[in-house]
Amino acid sequence: MPIAKGSARRVKPYQIIQTITGIAFTLYLLWRLYTVLIGSPSYGADTWARFIIAGSILGSVYALIAIGYTLVYGILRMINFAHGDIMMIGAFGGYFTLEATKNIPVGGTTFSESFPFLAILAAFLVGVSIAALSGYFLEKIAYRPLRGAPRLVPLISAIGASIFLENAAQLLFGAQRRDYANPTVLTRGEGWTLSINGANVILPYTGVLTVVLSVLLMIALYLLVMRTRLGRSMRAVAENKQVAALMGIDVDGVISRTFIISGALAGAAGVMWGIHLGLVYHFVGFIPGIKAFTAAVLGGIGSVPGAMLGGLFLGLVESLGPAVLGISFQLKDVIAFGILVLVLIFRPTGIVGEVLTEEKV
Amino acid sequence: MTVALETRGLTKTFGGLTAVNAVDLSIQEHSIFSVIGPNGSGKTTFYNCITGFYEPDSGEILFFEKPMTGLPPDQVTARGISRTYQNIRLFANMSAIENILVGEHSRMRANWFEAILLTPRVVREEKAAVEKARQLLSFVGLAGLGDQQARNLPYGAQRRLEIARALASQPTMLLLDEPTAGMNPNETHEMTLFIRRLRDELGITIMLIEHDMRVVMGISERIAVLDYGAKIAEGTPAEIQGNPHVIEAYLGSGAASGIKPVARQLE
Amino acid sequence: MKTLFRNSLKTGIVFGIITVFLFLIGFTGTAANLLADLLHNESAGLFLGLTPLMLNTAIFLGLIGLWAGVSGASREQDIPGDPFGAAALGGAIAGVAHGLPVGAAVWLIGGLNEQGVAMSTYLAELLPAAVHQFLLGLAPMTAGIFYLLFLTTAGAAGGLLNRVLGRGSRKTRAAIRNRLRESVESLPVLQSLRKSTAGRYAVYGVLLAGLLLLPLVAGQYWNYTIGTVGIYVLLGLGLNIVVGLAGLLDLGYVAFFAIGAYAMALLTAPTPHHLMWNFWLVIPIGIVLAAVTGILLGAPVLRMRGDYLAIVTLGFGEIIRILSKSDDLSDFTGGPRGVPAVAPPDFFGLPINNAIGFVYLIFLAVLLVIFVTNRLQNSRVGRAWEAMREDETVSRAMGINTLLQKLLAFAIGAAFAGLGGALFASRNQFTGPEDFNLMVSINVVAVVIVGGMGSIPGVIAGALVLKGLPEMLRQLEDYRVMVFGALLVVMMLWRPAGLIPSSRRKMEIGRDAGLVETAEEGRGK
Repeated sequence: MPIAKGSARRVKPYQIIQTITGIAFTLYLLWRLYTVLIGSPSYGADTWARFIIAGSILGSVYALIAIGYTLVYGILRMINFAHGDIMMIGAFGGYFTLEATKNIPVGGTTFSESFPFLAILAAFLVGVSIAALSGYFLEKIAYRPLRGAPRLVPLISAIGASIFLENAAQLLFGAQRRDYANPTVLTRGEGWTLSINGANVILPYTGVLTVVLSVLLMIALYLLVMRTRLGRSMRAVAENKQVAALMGIDVDGVISRTFIISGALAGAAGVMWGIHLGLVYHFVGFIPGIKAFTAAVLGGIGSVPGAMLGGLFLGLVESLGPAVLGISFQLKDVIAFGILVLVLIFRPTGIVGEVLTEEKV
Repeated sequence: MTVALETRGLTKTFGGLTAVNAVDLSIQEHSIFSVIGPNGSGKTTFYNCITGFYEPDSGEILFFEKPMTGLPPDQVTARGISRTYQNIRLFANMSAIENILVGEHSRMRANWFEAILLTPRVVREEKAAVEKARQLLSFVGLAGLGDQQARNLPYGAQRRLEIARALASQPTMLLLDEPTAGMNPNETHEMTLFIRRLRDELGITIMLIEHDMRVVMGISERIAVLDYGAKIAEGTPAEIQGNPHVIEAYLGSGAASGIKPVARQLE
Repeated sequence: MKTLFRNSLKTGIVFGIITVFLFLIGFTGTAANLLADLLHNESAGLFLGLTPLMLNTAIFLGLIGLWAGVSGASREQDIPGDPFGAAALGGAIAGVAHGLPVGAAVWLIGGLNEQGVAMSTYLAELLPAAVHQFLLGLAPMTAGIFYLLFLTTAGAAGGLLNRVLGRGSRKTRAAIRNRLRESVESLPVLQSLRKSTAGRYAVYGVLLAGLLLLPLVAGQYWNYTIGTVGIYVLLGLGLNIVVGLAGLLDLGYVAFFAIGAYAMALLTAPTPHHLMWNFWLVIPIGIVLAAVTGILLGAPVLRMRGDYLAIVTLGFGEIIRILSKSDDLSDFTGGPRGVPAVAPPDFFGLPINNAIGFVYLIFLAVLLVIFVTNRLQNSRVGRAWEAMREDETVSRAMGINTLLQKLLAFAIGAAFAGLGGALFASRNQFTGPEDFNLMVSINVVAVVIVGGMGSIPGVIAGALVLKGLPEMLRQLEDYRVMVFGALLVVMMLWRPAGLIPSSRRKMEIGRDAGLVETAEEGRGK
């Protein structure tokens, strides 16, 4: 935008509308929170606890996927539309691994029962590797040749790649939803029982695994971006590709590696999704993909901590939202899309603030 | 004589950097006024403030004594100020004629509804606009090149097309940003004569950012010098040439060399 | 030397992966069936112990192998004195690289199949019968070795074919391409067309007449298809104004389509509102409602950057779809089951509810939209849009109120979608939330972009290719969407300006012909 910010000289009409709408919405939200929590509480503390647990788990998965978006956007200024499908690929990788371990007989029972954690580890390794590889090839085939083209072109290519991956998966594996074969130790729905407000609230094993792993991965990634040479190169390329190249950085290599990392994270998220939520199918990556993108924008696109926060926030809001706003749970996706739209309209720089510079005149 | 453009204390900062620092300027109508200064001294930013691309942080801009500070670019054009750009910004994939027609946008009135219905008024207006565009093309010496894609034109022609486009909105004041950049001495000479013609024949007030000192000293009536965003000198070409602050700004302190005028050549 | 053959190797491996993939998605089976239709050999007897379908599978794979050989050899430089040898070798290497993965896959899958492993639980197309067919009735290892040899030979043959076709180095290929183009363009018919505008109009006139008479002879099914293509042309032209002329990527275009359709449905159908207004009355209402929605949705978002705009509009589209499906609003919208019994148009009292009538109606609408688009394109407004697309900052300095112009483009595009939606609902005599999903938006975007942004003939071509072709290739129905996705990627890599781009777009996006010098480059001279 050519009009630089900073001066309050010209108060434009849309800014007034923005502020009024923002205030009105915040007031409404506060009123709803009051009603639901204090005024006429329809849910007990135990239900809230369940919402929060579910939201945190979902949020950590979103966060992983969101980081992938933000890394790619930071480096290429493009939305990797097919990122959600990379997650799907990872999910399938994990699925097939678990199926395989389920069928390998070991001393009376199956491999996955005898060595459950090894099986899970294998699932992650396979899922992550396949997803990372897919990310690498995706960039090489569909994005790299279009590096200099006007922005519309790689975006369309990304959309095409996404559609292709989803439907190829459908043709290969069929359209039915497949159940992740967790080892008995990690059966979905089982976990530690907490007693809250007199009722039993379950802290699921799979959920804890998900959150712990996500946090570890996020820490690892943060260290990678901030402390390693590769991370520095990534940040340099994100700042200014030409100058980075002049400094001797292999820009193509850095971009490839970014896609590999972002794919790996998405793959891990996909396996977690399978382990915790159970169902995987060819379309599983689509909506989480968009939600994760929302999270990335919410946190400030280009910022890794922002993506993490945004993911967590979105997960919680999606879980708590329908209850707080008093609307049907059917509409929980509307909440996510609504946030997306509102954030992009009113605060496109996100909560943390935009890391990328604007175009100058 | 009337003052065409006046700025008072115009200031623009970006974060910690003050790009334009309390600049006071007063430009007489029908004059040719140059703004010079080392690279990065804030000249183009100054232009951007006047033409509405940036909103100044403080200060005032008056056009024929009517305040104009903070107006958006389309309204600045409507008031009668046009500009050209340092790195030619033509509509590269449109033809020369179309570029000029876009320039006439603010002086035309056909709206979408009339365009669809093809009313007689629209037909008349289009015809008049095309005719005027051709006249402007001739005026800048590009007659016959109207249907060429702008990006296919040679460099000098592109510069002149940009000026033609700026003239299309019937401005009373024209801001030129390094119009002779990249030109050889012949082309520079022609451009200088052309700028004089603009003022002499069309009565347009001209403000000029330039680096080529021969041009500046040759045609300007008054010159202002910016350095690090602030005006460090203003005066006639002779005054500026002898001004030690100016010499220091360009050549560093301790330099004793002068900038000899080659004005006679341009008579 | 070595590098030359590395390319052959790479080509071969790529072909190998693709062939295995085709097998896994069952395409080899479909291809065999297609060939059977083509060659009419379903009921033929056994040939060398192969059933007809097996034979066709072999033929299909042989053709792919040939192609691999042609591609694998094509990058070879012309080696003077021995053109065929190098090419054959290159083709053979590609063939080996092609045959190895295929043979290995055949061996593996055949082996698993023999052991009774139910692979089809994981890979849906690997039914025992399909595997047997692919193995050509041989034992797994035999089949594997056979394919390796077969594809290598096919590759070598392809290499030779490459030279026979005179391809070879890039210079030769370019020379052939140019010669072809010249010979086509020098055809007297085209020459006379180019010279006289009267001639050109005559040709258009003939085409138009043919088009107008077509519905009378085409059957019910084809008329329905033509109608669908027509509606997509309508939508494409509408989106063309938004994307092609004003440069705004709208991925939620389906929202306006939905508004038009729902307006027609809710105002003319007996349920849920018992209004039953007349079709002709509702059409302008639908258009206006869609345009108003366009303004409402556009106003907050048109300030955004390109990709953000895309995502926001996508979000809008999805929100409208979810809302129209929700139970909460079903009293107003008819809910997830939609609105039945939407009224057809009437011609002075006679209802037009057959396919032919609708085709003409849609033709009329398309002509109207083409006319309006053309008028806008060549007017002050159209120039303003173009300038905005070229350089938004400078266009503002020209006095163009960019926000208003973008809003105008958005609203007009929305209006066209509303028209399309109203016609769509009336023709189907039903409308429901499932008709308005994201794929519709993406399809329309594809029509515009694949066809050629900013160009009216391009949009028509796009609609024909993307909506008409699949109808004609019914057997490939299952693969349609996947091919669509791949097509988008391929088009962007190969012809990003579209099939029939407007001449401006070709310059903007053209990458092949060597870029034209810009001002900066010229300055250095």
